[in-house]
Amino acid sequence: MIAADSWLPASLRKGWRWYIRLAIGLYALSLLGAIGPRAPLGPQQTVTTQHPQVCVHTRLIDEVWEWKIQRTLQLVREMGATTIVEFFPWAYIESTEDYYDWEPADRIIRHADNQGLKVIARMGLVPGWARPRESTLNYLPVEAYDDFATFVADFAARYAGVVDQIIIWNEPNLAFEWGYQQVDPAGYARLLQAVYAPAHQANPNIQILAAGLAPTLEPASSPNGLNDLLYLEQLFEAGAADFFDGLALHTYGFTDEPSAEPGFETLNFRRAELLHAISIEYGAADKPMFITETGWNDHPRWTKAVRPAQRIQYTLDAFRYAENNWPWLENLCLWAFRYPGPTYSYPDNFEIVTSDFQIKPIYYAIQDYALGRDTGTSLWLPAPEPADS
Amino acid sequence: MATRPRTRRFLIATGLGVALVLAVFALLPRPAPTPQDLFPYGEIRIAVDASNPPFAVATANDLFGLEIDLGNALGDYFGLPVRFVNMSFDGLYDSLKADQADMVIAALTIDPLRTGDVLYTRHYFDAGLVLVSPDDQPLTAMEDLSGQALAYEFGSDADALARRWLHRIAPFATRPYELPAHALEAVRLGQADAALVDRISARLHQRDHDWQPHFTTITHNWYPVAVPKDEVARWQAVNQAVRELDQNGTLDRIINTWL
Repeated sequence: MIAADSWLPASLRKGWRWYIRLAIGLYALSLLGAIGPRAPLGPQQTVTTQHPQVCVHTRLIDEVWEWKIQRTLQLVREMGATTIVEFFPWAYIESTEDYYDWEPADRIIRHADNQGLKVIARMGLVPGWARPRESTLNYLPVEAYDDFATFVADFAARYAGVVDQIIIWNEPNLAFEWGYQQVDPAGYARLLQAVYAPAHQANPNIQILAAGLAPTLEPASSPNGLNDLLYLEQLFEAGAADFFDGLALHTYGFTDEPSAEPGFETLNFRRAELLHAISIEYGAADKPMFITETGWNDHPRWTKAVRPAQRIQYTLDAFRYAENNWPWLENLCLWAFRYPGPTYSYPDNFEIVTSDFQIKPIYYAIQDYALGRDTGTSLWLPAPEPADS
Repeated sequence: MATRPRTRRFLIATGLGVALVLAVFALLPRPAPTPQDLFPYGEIRIAVDASNPPFAVATANDLFGLEIDLGNALGDYFGLPVRFVNMSFDGLYDSLKADQADMVIAALTIDPLRTGDVLYTRHYFDAGLVLVSPDDQPLTAMEDLSGQALAYEFGSDADALARRWLHRIAPFATRPYELPAHALEAVRLGQADAALVDRISARLHQRDHDWQPHFTTITHNWYPVAVPKDEVARWQAVNQAVRELDQNGTLDRIINTWL
């Protein structure tokens, strides 16, 4: 009989089993490392703020680590924001027909709830089984409207009490967001109609919000999209008002200060007033509005950006302007609190906290405003002058 | 039967001989690619964004700036004419993909997401943050700020960095200004002990005032030249060219002209 370890040198033969055990132990430890830090729920938190309109758009659905979701939402609460807007893609949750993987959504909702934050959920992205093979993720065929409505209803029921508003789709006035088809306000009205009743049956308290439209000046003949003001008019003409409870708005300031006059040919913060005026014109003045994307950018090279100091000043002025002048507005949500990873381009300069959790000065300025600590004095010193001048 | 071993030996010897010749051939220095090999259109096509003074600016008929001078210096180095392709920032990388340019010189920063498509050379400029202090009372590190007054642009990366240093060292006074130029002016006028600003603002301010402050590099923000990833020989040559322009003082002369 030959021993199994006879091929080993004599010096190793005696304890070779211990080497195997050590290797298995090290392998097990390496697996533990891959699990990453855990993110257990802490005590129930509540938001302290003097300005409940303050809200941020988060980007958490693509976050790998749960602790980063938790840390992000802690920072949101500590900044004094009451509400987040977050994207919950249909394609992620029901990638296989009739099989739901709720975990990516669950972990965001449970941490938001734990921090005392309200969630406005944005719905979109079509799973492969619900659309033609060669289509994009934003292409929703009419025959899949009811499948999408079923998903929205199931979502509304599951998260009742935390999610009170659901936005149906995103910027459908852009061809890209409408599956590279010609934009179609009447078609979008039919989508709202398909969703409205099932969602309300699932959760009677839910508010269905018509999607925020992209601020754009595209004319009716453009293959790329349609002017948001024209699109909203056509949406009302198509009878959509019966199928949404509120309206989401996207209104970026670009290089204008927040008080700058709005105009049909001007893209700036107060374009929200033109969209609101259209709602009044079509008898929808009672529908609340939520600005779910707004903000300024301070990238040094982007032509639509401002200086960092201006970005902060304009953001605070926008909160004050909205609170003083827009009683119809529920929330003002800044794009974007933090991305899961850097883009290495101008979108990074919309962030309030960087992807590696470096807190930008704008965070502290918003926090001071939300908590009522701002003194109303200038945020910066006057330009220096010689002492004898 | 007696011939078979001899045939085998012959074949082995022949094989070894061929392998030896191939090895020697592989080890022989290859001729460097000519400029015409590197730039097959007979000119160097450089994509620039002439809306970014003082790096590149356009007038009705001309382009000028630091990067235009650098592009022309590369033309002299390779002995080829240069053609600048002016475009917006968003189109710069696509110009390489679409073979509209041989390289991009446009205050690009290193983008890890682009490294599947481009190769970056060594940098020709570092636009990172510098600590600017009076030459007779220099501050040579952030640790030196304790007890001093630091000026910076409110809301900027310098502001964010200053706030982090306030947690690390003994307190220092902070002087936020609307613009980096104001922060520098505060130091020049003796109203702050140092300014934390980007190197471009610092050099422009220094150029516009009769003032020789002390600069300490705090962070890096390198501007490289970008070349298509499949043009390795071109990348090596441009990299070497930028190195030589740096070593022979040409790069410094160009930078000093504009900043």
